[in-house]
Amino acid sequence: MHKPEIAITRERLLAAREMVLNMGPQHPSTHGVLRVILKLDGETVIDLDCDIGYLHRGVEKICENRTYVHIEPYFDRLDYVAAVSNDLCYVETVEKIAGIEVPEKAKYIRVILTELQRIASHLLWLGTHAMDIGAVTIFLYAFREREEILKIFENYFGARLTANAFRIGGLQYDIYDGFEEQVRAFCRILPERLKEYETILNENRIWLQRTVGIGILTAEEAKDLGVTGPVLRASGVKWDIRKAFPYEVYDQVEFEIPVGENGDTYDRYLVRMEEMRQSRLIILQCLDKLKKLHPGPVLGKVPKVIRPPVGEVYHSIESPKGELGIYLVSNGTAFPERLRIRPPSLINLQALKKMAIGHLVADVVALIGSIDIVLGEVDR
Amino acid sequence: MELFWTIWNHPIVSEYVVRRLPTIVIVLFVILTVAAYLVYAERKVSAFIQARLGPMRVGPYGLLQPLADALKLLSKEDIIPARAERSIFVIAPMISVVASLVVLAVIPFGPGRATITDVNIGVLFILAVSSVGVLGIILGGWASNSKYPLLGALRSSAQMVSYEVAIALALVGPLMFAKTLSMVGLIEAQMTDGVWYVLYQPVAFLIFLVGGLAETNRAPFDLPEAESEIVAGYHTEYSGFRWALYFVAEYTNIVISAAIAATVFLGGWHFPGLTRLAEPGTGLYALLAVLIFAVKVFAIVYCFIWFRWTFPRYRYDQLMSLGWKWLIPAALANILVTGAVLVLAQHLGLVETVRTEAGERLVSLWPWGKLFLIAASLLIGVPIVWILLAVINRRSADFNLRVQRQIRLPERGEEEIFAEV
Amino acid sequence: MAEPRRTWKQVLSRFLLLDLIKGLLVTFKYQAPKHCYTEQYPLVRPKVAERFRGAPRLNLDPETGESLCIACNLCAIACPEDLITVVEAVREYVDHEGKTKKKRVLVDYTYDTSRCMFCGHCQDVCPTYAIELTQEFELAIYRRKDFVWSWEMLEKGIEQPIYTR
Ligand code: SF4
Ligand code: SF4
Repeated sequence: MHKPEIAITRERLLAAREMVLNMGPQHPSTHGVLRVILKLDGETVIDLDCDIGYLHRGVEKICENRTYVHIEPYFDRLDYVAAVSNDLCYVETVEKIAGIEVPEKAKYIRVILTELQRIASHLLWLGTHAMDIGAVTIFLYAFREREEILKIFENYFGARLTANAFRIGGLQYDIYDGFEEQVRAFCRILPERLKEYETILNENRIWLQRTVGIGILTAEEAKDLGVTGPVLRASGVKWDIRKAFPYEVYDQVEFEIPVGENGDTYDRYLVRMEEMRQSRLIILQCLDKLKKLHPGPVLGKVPKVIRPPVGEVYHSIESPKGELGIYLVSNGTAFPERLRIRPPSLINLQALKKMAIGHLVADVVALIGSIDIVLGEVDR
Repeated sequence: MELFWTIWNHPIVSEYVVRRLPTIVIVLFVILTVAAYLVYAERKVSAFIQARLGPMRVGPYGLLQPLADALKLLSKEDIIPARAERSIFVIAPMISVVASLVVLAVIPFGPGRATITDVNIGVLFILAVSSVGVLGIILGGWASNSKYPLLGALRSSAQMVSYEVAIALALVGPLMFAKTLSMVGLIEAQMTDGVWYVLYQPVAFLIFLVGGLAETNRAPFDLPEAESEIVAGYHTEYSGFRWALYFVAEYTNIVISAAIAATVFLGGWHFPGLTRLAEPGTGLYALLAVLIFAVKVFAIVYCFIWFRWTFPRYRYDQLMSLGWKWLIPAALANILVTGAVLVLAQHLGLVETVRTEAGERLVSLWPWGKLFLIAASLLIGVPIVWILLAVINRRSADFNLRVQRQIRLPERGEEEIFAEV
Repeated sequence: MAEPRRTWKQVLSRFLLLDLIKGLLVTFKYQAPKHCYTEQYPLVRPKVAERFRGAPRLNLDPETGESLCIACNLCAIACPEDLITVVEAVREYVDHEGKTKKKRVLVDYTYDTSRCMFCGHCQDVCPTYAIELTQEFELAIYRRKDFVWSWEMLEKGIEQPIYTR
């Protein structure tokens, strides 16, 4: 952990122009319990260090003492605003190592739900990010739309946040009556609502001043830091696991990957906004295909106790925050030998220092928002 | 007892204390209630803007919410941080409140006795006293002995000092027409002229509105208390009733800002046709006048609330550049242009000076004088100010913001998808 | 980066503050009461989904009124948090043919809601649909020890004050 210089003599104290400011762990806009130690000259950031671990629950260790089925619900608690994506990553990893087939219909439903989750996660990001910059009203508008998605989740999974969505080998439930209409209704209102946010923000001179050119991350730097997800794409790198290593049915739907140019906060905003639109298109395409498959099984053949063969596997998906990967080592028993999670938020957070130095305190807040971290995932 | 009555009947006392006392009490009571209900209004309006309901539980439609809040704040534990500078910590919120309440003395709420007092340097008095309010904020932030309040206090001192300049300069324009600094005099000038000065001085009005937002720490200029950056700014360490004092000061300041704008630019209690409705000097007239004034003030306050819940927040350096590079040059240019236009108008014989017991006053002649002044302000004043600002700021980031490149990918397949729906 | 030069339209819209006014209009529009999205929660109780996983309940056989639970212990095994305890006993009884048979019966059942994460694994494995996560979502309790629900509580549910006005 970074230690601010504390061997302070009276002379140094008087001569010092620097001030160490502890932002967090209880701060309104560090998105949870992140502690950022800022070294300030006036309000300019000259050094910055992130102190994490306040939400550490040892999920990886817990997983070593649970059977493969038992582990499922723990993944809801990593990135708790995108629980469905995390679940998807876990069940796919186990399916991969145990060689379990998933019915076609289940794959489509999984994609629809994960894309809805991506929209929900991005909406939450939009709200909090705008609120960090001061536009509080957007926060409530975004939450209203997110509520529609959560209603779909509640109807489908029986829970709004901690979905415990998928089962190894498929799904627990078939779609409920009216699922398609509800999703379509949401897809119908989404574009006009996004348009409204953009009328408030896109051209607003204050918003532009606060975001354009703030926290520029060039493509090279982004790649060096291992940043993934919208943050990477905003820097102009066209990298999306959904296209690079298609999982589920992403190779059968058409969608584009928005990329930015400058890698500043504004581009990250634009990329996420456009990603929501693309997700909506994916959902609509999947709904069409789902109609043809409708009465059909959703759970494949799964052994009673899952004992994957000895071996190891790495599987990653494109979660709303970036590349979420799981590295799983199996020793042939019902318990995993080791389960390592690669959380996108943790790695994206490392870019904060690069972005923030030289900017003002207010920009640090905007930057934390624009990376879109969730501390549950950072600390695990 | 004898002594008491002598003092009581002394002309100075009876003039400045006895006669004013009822008004003072009423005004204080009304304004404090209004400030409390402004919080309610703020919560309600923000709720409506955000598709919510706002307070609904205490009383019908939550109307008793301010009362409940006040009771809660009164009964809260009074916490003074151990390392705080105790005496200053205690005094600071009082300074803020007193400074904002003293200003009420010269605000013309209505004709005659509805106004507490009318001093001939009213505008100056307001500017002078309201800048004392900053002191309360700076002291409070400093005395808390904590970093966030300190940052908040520094921000607010820099912000208020620079925006005060802009506000004062913006007020000069209307004063050139009225030729008086008295608040009541300003209203009377607009009455005799039959024109609200917002028409003559649109630039000054805009500057005053923006400056007023900044002076009262409202979004998009709420940097001293930007909760997403520095938690609660200067009052982070305050709780209970001391915090409430800051709150009262803040909302009173909003009312005052709006009241000044209404007086100087929107004709105060003047409304065309008011004299026809009621005889000046009667109770009905005073009542109507106060009502009109209140409506104007609340229209402006509503705009303040509306802006707050729409716009993002400026950054500290951007706020400074807005103040120094945009508002102050604009205000200066406005004074210059107004002066030139007035001289021109006098040469053309479009305005004339009338003498009243309060002094001289400019009156524009109908129709050419008025039309000329309005047209001049729009067609000469606005472009000149704009060009000047463009020249000053041509290299700044703010000016060079353009509509940004948008990422919109072709929405392939959407039509087909929707055809099936 | 070579930015495109501004067009006259953009200059004019900036000058007239159109970018700000457009945003203001959107927020103004939303003040109409029809856009209101609030649920007045304790007064108006939301209807949660059928599949909602809320407070647990041990179901009774609607005909005999006996517990459906056959003390198979599956739910306790399925629970990742190990919070269900099923205490069973083997009882002998005489069936209608007069033979003596053995039967597993439930003696005690506790469920620690404070540790439950409402994943629903327990209700998924129950062969008789005895344990069920219901639509009841108000689980707040004043004392910590009350979070452990006994068999009786699981059958009756807890009583929550209903706030009205
Ligand atoms: S819902 Fe999950 S955690 Fe709770 S008792 Fe059932 S299996 Fe255990
Ligand atoms: S699984 Fe069902 S029947 Fe078996 S012990 Fe649990 S509640 Fe009883």
